Amino acid sequence: MKKLAHWLVRLYPRWWQARYAQEFEVLLEDTDVTLCDVIGIVQSALEVRMKPTNLPRIVDMACRDIPHGYELESCVELPGANGGSTLVQSFYREIDLGDTYVTLSHSSRGGEPAQTILINGRKGEVDGDFRTDETEMLILHIDGTIERTEQTVKTWLKYRAIVDRVRDKYRSGQSAEDIFRQIRAASDNPLWS
Amino acid sequence: MSDPTLLVLASLADGDKHGYAMMEDIERFAGVRLGPGTLYGAITRLEQQGWIRPLKSAEDRRQPYTLSADGRRHLEEQLSELNQIVRTGLKRLRHA
Repeated sequence: MKKLAHWLVRLYPRWWQARYAQEFEVLLEDTDVTLCDVIGIVQSALEVRMKPTNLPRIVDMACRDIPHGYELESCVELPGANGGSTLVQSFYREIDLGDTYVTLSHSSRGGEPAQTILINGRKGEVDGDFRTDETEMLILHIDGTIERTEQTVKTWLKYRAIVDRVRDKYRSGQSAEDIFRQIRAASDNPLWS
Repeated sequence: MSDPTLLVLASLADGDKHGYAMMEDIERFAGVRLGPGTLYGAITRLEQQGWIRPLKSAEDRRQPYTLSADGRRHLEEQLSELNQIVRTGLKRLRHA
């Protein structure tokens, strides 16, 4: 079963394998896999590979460097599943202190009251394109309540490269629309799909 | 109701679950057996939409998921629409 599970996982694109392979293989080991399941997995892998890119559009953006980090203000139009779209306005600050980092995100989705999220992260081990971090997240809700969670999260390192590339382009004076067009042209990554 | 994403959201509405637990739960409450491919296709889409998120797992290899606030809102909207359709359909059948 392990061999079959391993073979079936390899039908999916690499970004998908990096994110889901381990848990998917466990599920296959737990399940009495039928011929129908195998056909379903082949179909699912094809769908993941062939899914048209559904990119968010950067409407407006401003970025500035600060000591040990940067701040980013943005307005992004997210395509919805039903053909509509949602505007997300956000302010994001990230400070990298070496082994640890702090992020602050203040964002409003679809004109709803803004939510503030603070994350304290400790960088962990790197495995391929991912790093496993220990994080503490505080969500400051509009009603004054605070939700606190501790999580082990997988950070996709290529995302960092994309953010850095966007910041470089912004520094060189390119418009949000130009940057978006270039990312879209160069993009075969799952971040935008 | 056979949309796999909706079934997964409904399954997570009463608590966090990993993939196998979702499959069993969905078969129990909806009478639908989602295959592993269909289940993980739905999980992939839901995570990309921000409607579910992975949780820290005490058991390393099985990955539990939880419903996000947006996911809960989306599920409520979808179920409300379905409820309206069911009520209208039943009403029309009674008067047919």
